[in-house]
Amino acid sequence: MNAPSVTPTVLEARQIVKVFDGTVALAGVDFRLDRGRVHALIGENGAGKSTLLKVLAGIEQPTEGQLLVDGHVVPFASVRDAAARGIAMIHQELQLFPDLTVRENLFVGRERRTRWGTVAWAAQENAARRTLERLGHASISPRARVGSLSLGQQQIVEIARALVHDVRVLLMDEPTSALTSAEVPVLFQVIRDLTRHGVSIVYISHRLEELLAIADEVTVLRDGRVVGTAPAAEVDVPWIVHRMTGGATRQKPVEAPAAAGAVVLDVRGLTLPAKPGRTALDAVSFDVRRGELVGLYGLMGAGRTELIESVMGVHPDWTGHVVLDGTELRGSDVGRRVEAGLAMVPEDRQAAGLVQTLSVCENITLSSLGQLSRHGYLSPRAESRAARPLAEGLRVKTPSLDAPVTALSGGNQQKVVLARGVMSRPKVLLVDEPTRGVDVGAKGEIVDALRRLAAEGMGIVFATADLAEVQAAATRVLVMARGRLTADLPVSEATADALASAASSTPPDDGGPHGRP
Amino acid sequence: MGAGTRRLTRCFVLLCCAALSPACSSGTGSETAADPGRARLIAVITPSHDNPFFKAEADAASARARELGYEVIVNVHDDDANKQDQLIDVAIARKVSAIVLDNAGADASVAAISKARAAGIPSILIDREINVTGVAAAQIVSNNYQGATLGAEEFVRLLGEKGSYIELVGRESDTNAAVRSRGFHDVLDKYPDLRMVARQSANWDQREAFQKTETLIQANRGISGVIAGNDTMALGAMAALKGAGLGHLVVVGFDGSPDAIGSIKAGEIKATVLQPAAYIARLAVDQAHALITKGSTGQPEKQAIDCELVTQANAGEFGIFQRISKEAR
Amino acid sequence: MAGHSRSEGRSAAALVMKLRALIALALLAVTFSLLSPEFLTASNLSILVKHVAINAILAIGMTFVILSGGIDLSVGSIAGLCGVVAGGLLSRGLELQAFGVVIYFHTWLVVAIALAVGMAVGALNGWLVARLGVAPFIATLGSLYVARGAALLTTGGATFPNLAGSAALGNRGFAMLGAAGVLGLPVPVWVMALLAVAAIFLAAYTPFGRQVYAVGGNERAALLAGVRVGRVKLFVYVISGFCSALVGLIIAAQLGAAHPATGQTFELNAIAAVVLGGTSLMGGRGTIAGTLVGAFVIGVLADGLVLLGVSEFWQMVVKGLVIVLAVVLDQFQRRSS
Repeated sequence: MNAPSVTPTVLEARQIVKVFDGTVALAGVDFRLDRGRVHALIGENGAGKSTLLKVLAGIEQPTEGQLLVDGHVVPFASVRDAAARGIAMIHQELQLFPDLTVRENLFVGRERRTRWGTVAWAAQENAARRTLERLGHASISPRARVGSLSLGQQQIVEIARALVHDVRVLLMDEPTSALTSAEVPVLFQVIRDLTRHGVSIVYISHRLEELLAIADEVTVLRDGRVVGTAPAAEVDVPWIVHRMTGGATRQKPVEAPAAAGAVVLDVRGLTLPAKPGRTALDAVSFDVRRGELVGLYGLMGAGRTELIESVMGVHPDWTGHVVLDGTELRGSDVGRRVEAGLAMVPEDRQAAGLVQTLSVCENITLSSLGQLSRHGYLSPRAESRAARPLAEGLRVKTPSLDAPVTALSGGNQQKVVLARGVMSRPKVLLVDEPTRGVDVGAKGEIVDALRRLAAEGMGIVFATADLAEVQAAATRVLVMARGRLTADLPVSEATADALASAASSTPPDDGGPHGRP
Repeated sequence: MGAGTRRLTRCFVLLCCAALSPACSSGTGSETAADPGRARLIAVITPSHDNPFFKAEADAASARARELGYEVIVNVHDDDANKQDQLIDVAIARKVSAIVLDNAGADASVAAISKARAAGIPSILIDREINVTGVAAAQIVSNNYQGATLGAEEFVRLLGEKGSYIELVGRESDTNAAVRSRGFHDVLDKYPDLRMVARQSANWDQREAFQKTETLIQANRGISGVIAGNDTMALGAMAALKGAGLGHLVVVGFDGSPDAIGSIKAGEIKATVLQPAAYIARLAVDQAHALITKGSTGQPEKQAIDCELVTQANAGEFGIFQRISKEAR
Repeated sequence: MAGHSRSEGRSAAALVMKLRALIALALLAVTFSLLSPEFLTASNLSILVKHVAINAILAIGMTFVILSGGIDLSVGSIAGLCGVVAGGLLSRGLELQAFGVVIYFHTWLVVAIALAVGMAVGALNGWLVARLGVAPFIATLGSLYVARGAALLTTGGATFPNLAGSAALGNRGFAMLGAAGVLGLPVPVWVMALLAVAAIFLAAYTPFGRQVYAVGGNERAALLAGVRVGRVKLFVYVISGFCSALVGLIIAAQLGAAHPATGQTFELNAIAAVVLGGTSLMGGRGTIAGTLVGAFVIGVLADGLVLLGVSEFWQMVVKGLVIVLAVVLDQFQRRSS
């Protein structure tokens, strides 16, 4: 119980610069972590929080700058170097082996051995059981296959994996994103228990209230720079939001379109059952009018992506009604949805947006090949003639339309995927996190483009976890939490407080639609 | 969901059955489970059934065995010594009275045949020998060397003892390919005016023989004939020659397959050498029967059965790997 | 600026990569014509191209499958099955035991039926891969056995000899498929040429072709962009089945006989041609023209070595070395770009 009166710095980062392919992710960050304290890192998407955490964990090597452990400069060439100094990381995306048991997952790569060189199963099992008990999850069997556990339980295993070895510094990237509201206090108890034993914690979360409840110190990042550091006791949510967004609203909200047109997309009672790795949707209903730019705000795991994908017909097991321009869309055939007048810009550009082997032009025309071809003939000239105005309109910076799409920067790649969606002339365009991992300049251009399209009469839904962006760009805001729609606000009422509280609201039946064992 | 999974499983099982059945269970379908008390059992194991030669062996052996009141298990080992070993294990387990075997390798088969012998089951080898004696009860093979000289002599006669020719050899790792080629050359090389201009392996394969002959005659349009280590290669060569307008050239094969005999009757291939495979297979069953009933085959272990020359003059006298007159026996 | 020069370097590297197989082909041609005076004669070249056609036709179908991110191991078996189907219908007809009649079809109808059988097996592959999500390697490995088994069952293991047909039954003319045709060039060469032109058009100048590349490049992205991924996959296997059936017919016509074991290991030659031609086995990258060059490299090598009288064993060694060398070069090009 005796908190040490002196709290020496355990881990310090000095002037860390990290450049990815010409994009500056961190621009000279200073950061200090004291012994036995919880230090929260806050910032918008792309502000550099996760990159900083990865540098501290030895996953990424800084372009410039130094890392100091106990006051000594140390090179972190790899995760092993960091681990050797007692630094462990819990990842935002679970990094477990679903076909191995809990016990095997906890020790993978660092198996305990008997003197014969074989794996010391008994010792591992005991250590695993003790760690799970400490986390309040004695019910998870060390011999269970990880893939058979619920998402929340998997999150606990991920945390246990860090704790089962001796750690001095624990880096946690959104550890609660997959936990149910009942499980969060247990985690906080564990964190407090750890700090009492002298473990230091760096904590990233988008749930600001949660952060203030657990953190001792707060550092706010914006565009790769530190824009504020303070003891948590001295700050409140508005202080944080102000620094995160760089002062009030950067962009003026668009004048609400003169008159939003008729309803073009009407979604009623859209439901999606739970599955590992995806949030269940519980009777989501909303509509989109012509010329509207509807922001879909929610935290990680709120179900934004699942909602967009269900409307697009990606998941075959959705139920409910989707009516586009008076026609009910049935089944689950993405191609038919595109023909009907829907288009989607997916969240994960590399995995689901770009076709890396095709050129810029070929990527742009991919959804519109039917319209571009004549009697089955697809003329390269017609293709580039059609793609050029879109690429220019969105200011895609590319050596040529025939350049491989992988030669472009992240922001320009995103514009290419957006151009593909726009080219199919959809009635409703669904855009998932269009500005994630995109530099500031491109962000503005993408938001401008969305506004222009809405002004031309397209209905647009854009999902984001970026509070400021949704306030700045949307004409109406839908808020999701745990697979449900919790608010539908005109932009005038969409204050940071209103959005944050709607986004973290807990549905009446505790546990939510996901996370049950 | 459950129904979907079940349907998927059923598809998978069906697919597996379909995929495996031609490979391993050809011919076993009609046999009923053996009752050791009533009918005795003979196992017939040959390399494959997609070659008419081996099929003739298997058919003749099983027909003869049934005539003598045996039940028969027929299997193929696909020239895979390991699979042959497993088939012999099965035969031992089913307590067969004898095994008639066209084996999967002169050395690789010895252990399996010894195993059967140790279990008290005699093996009668047909078509191919093994490299030891005293393990098999009998080894009855056609005399490849004698047959090759027979074919070569006819080839020489048809060419008028002069001219140039191409030789197509079987799979070069196969003993019979070498024996036949030696038999050819022991005759052909005696004639100074006969000249071999190319010698290529076509791996016993018709299409390969076709393509290689097409290519080879580009450099050697003046040839007078092609001598091939088996009939399928001879037929491939014949097709290539016909395509090049050289259908009158002399082509001689080996084996006496029904297709080759048909070709001879049609005046295309000029001659082949018939291996009495069906006769040998029946002989093997007869000797197995003698062994079972009288305790001895009444013959030495190694027996070489002479081959016969088939030409346009006598082609009508031959059936499926046998002289028709012999069938009466 | 930087981006510009980088893309120039990339296109130069891409050019070298494309030319790599062509350079190899030219070197082989020069070597063989120096070593053997018959190599460059018109009749030898005509026969050479005819031999190449067999593998090239299979490889064209295989290219579509590999571009889509799949693989088709069943091409040789389908060729064998379709040859036997055509052979059986020509020489024995279709016996309907229930009615006690035997039906003989016109030659063209026989050809159409054999092609339909090939496409049906291809469709089965496509259905397994696209609808049931079976890995292409496994699905087509299954078809490899099923089709081969079906071919053996059709003939009982024997060969259907003498496919000349008879005028009385109206089914003569099958041998034409393997014989000399217009301008003295063999019919298989014409088939290959027409197929190549159609395939190049299909791959490069139609929505379907683009979608094949997209599915192979990033299947999920293609799906979300509205590409009918399942349909695209189904079609590529049907195309491959069609090409395999063509090969089965050509071989049966050339030999005047249909053997059920025809086409064993053809799949490996076809894959080798595709890979030699610079198509990525991961899908999404490659061209039909490259595949044709690849098929020619393999064909010239095989025929040239036969012409020189090189032993079968050395032919195998050389072929293996050339394939590995080509892929190693491919890796170098990828890494440097």
